[in-house]
Amino acid sequence: MTTSSLPRLGTLAVGGILAVTLPFWVGDFYQLHLAALIGVYWVLIAGLNLVVGYTGQLSIGHVGLLSIGSYAFAIVVGRYGVDPLLTLALAGALGGLCGFLLGLPSLRLPGFYFAMATMAFALIMAELSLAQGGLTGGGAGLPVPGFAAPFDTPTGFYWLVLLVAALITWMTWNVARLMWGRGLIALRDSEVAAAAVGVPIFRLKLTVFTFSGVTAGIGGALFASLQSYITPETFVFELGLFFFVCIIIGGRGSILGPFVGTVVLTALPEMVAPLAKLGNFFYGLLLLAVVLVVPEGIGHVIKSVLARLQKKGPDPKGLQPDIGRLAAAVRRGMRQDIQRGHAS
Amino acid sequence: MLTVLVSGLAIGALYAATGLAYNIMFSTSKVLSVTTGHICMLGGVFGAYFMLDLGLPAPVALVGAVLVGAAFGLLTEVIAIRRVLARSDEHLWLLSTLALATMVQQAVGLWWGTEPRPFPRLADQDFTAGVLDQKYWLPIAAVVAMALGLEFFYRRTMYGKVFQAVSEDAFAARARGIATDRTRALSFAIAGALGGLAGFAAGQLTFAFFALGLTLTLYGFIALAVGGLGSNVGALVGGVALGLFQTLATYLFGGEYQQTIAVGLLMVVLLVKPEGLFGSKKVRPV
Repeated sequence: MTTSSLPRLGTLAVGGILAVTLPFWVGDFYQLHLAALIGVYWVLIAGLNLVVGYTGQLSIGHVGLLSIGSYAFAIVVGRYGVDPLLTLALAGALGGLCGFLLGLPSLRLPGFYFAMATMAFALIMAELSLAQGGLTGGGAGLPVPGFAAPFDTPTGFYWLVLLVAALITWMTWNVARLMWGRGLIALRDSEVAAAAVGVPIFRLKLTVFTFSGVTAGIGGALFASLQSYITPETFVFELGLFFFVCIIIGGRGSILGPFVGTVVLTALPEMVAPLAKLGNFFYGLLLLAVVLVVPEGIGHVIKSVLARLQKKGPDPKGLQPDIGRLAAAVRRGMRQDIQRGHAS
Repeated sequence: MLTVLVSGLAIGALYAATGLAYNIMFSTSKVLSVTTGHICMLGGVFGAYFMLDLGLPAPVALVGAVLVGAAFGLLTEVIAIRRVLARSDEHLWLLSTLALATMVQQAVGLWWGTEPRPFPRLADQDFTAGVLDQKYWLPIAAVVAMALGLEFFYRRTMYGKVFQAVSEDAFAARARGIATDRTRALSFAIAGALGGLAGFAAGQLTFAFFALGLTLTLYGFIALAVGGLGSNVGALVGGVALGLFQTLATYLFGGEYQQTIAVGLLMVVLLVKPEGLFGSKKVRPV
């Protein structure tokens, strides 16, 4: 991973500068809005990526958690006049709590059961937001206030989103690349094997799911503020499917892939008018094509193509074992064992 | 009160039919297809299309709806299941059937419209018939016929026994010279035909509505999970229980919390008896 860190850092820096200065070179406010929307989606998807991409738990109902964050923000700020930034944290905490409560029973269920449970959760949330008219405004919806002084313009709001998104990306990156991420991937590939080597399966799943609830709550608060008016119609089940599709198309077990997926899938229907009309049909078709042709996701394809271009090797996946080093390590290990044997 | 019970029984029959369709596909492929509810939706929508837009008589429309369902079931197997099972990754079938379900739902929404449309009456009957109204007893009759037919098929016919063999142990069946791939495709076609029939019969209850598929996928699955995966009796009991439970709850507390109640039932059953009421306990010895 750290072999080519210099070009990687360079790319990251260029990307960061481009993202920060985006309000100055982007064409109009609509495109800025789109960029902010991508950022908001990414806040949620970054957390969901740990659940879907790394842990392999197919949650298709994260839109329910998103709606919780949105309504919490709209109600707390709009009705009680609490500081928006404080409420942002509050929405995250509430989202995390709901994620925890949802995960507690449902993460014990096997694959399809879990997917159905999260889908049911999304439908229940839609139903509750309609039924609890006194709290959520029912079908008529709620107006959502914006943020305070430095973040009240579109540009300021974009920077806030960017800040939050960068922070959460950094956090997920830390989780993914360290011991946690290894545990998650082990869990995804074989639960039995992971349990056998001492990965605390359920606790790990629940922690990651709770974290994804936090990001969903924060994303929901930002989303509500961006939309400035929310109704139960805003949080249709298909939105949850969209988040899920972004990750699967981007590629499981990577952060860059789902990010590219989010950007492309959010921007493409806006840029190409006929696709917007097809909407979910397009997403479904894309998902089907990816699953059938490249189940590892498009990010993986790009990566292997890049690797092939750089190395011109026969097989980008193939590893050449360093026999000498391996033998040395084994010898060293044996020596240590012997020493330990003497010591005891 | 009687109306509540009968309508609960009728909607429960539709859930049970969806559960049966799940079971037929699951038995040969060990796949729980997300498209199951959409099959029933297609039966209802195409039934209404054949009768209202094309003006065909009801029996022809019924055959048409069943054929559309069977074709869609077969299509699911060919597109979303066959290649994915050959690759043998656990979760991929869930993704591929989900993708297909989304596509079908959106396509029907674009073509048929997103508003629910009324389904025509099948037999001459006054609207004053109350509990004897055809919209209640048609789905009930259909699911009873389906269950009896399936039981006969599994017990008395050669093909039914082939199905059972594949369901017991696909490798052993293959070793005995059974074309497991063809059997699986056939099972999807049969599930599609029965789902189309159920959707057609329940059309007057549910209306021809494009978003029905996803709801039925969920409720049919809940019925099956409550009753026990793989058991046809379980699907029937679970479906009827879920339907009655829902309509009674609606009658007592109002209609806003239907899904919450249904999922609550599922959670309670899964916590108390994870294999369902009539399911067989399959514990892998490690």
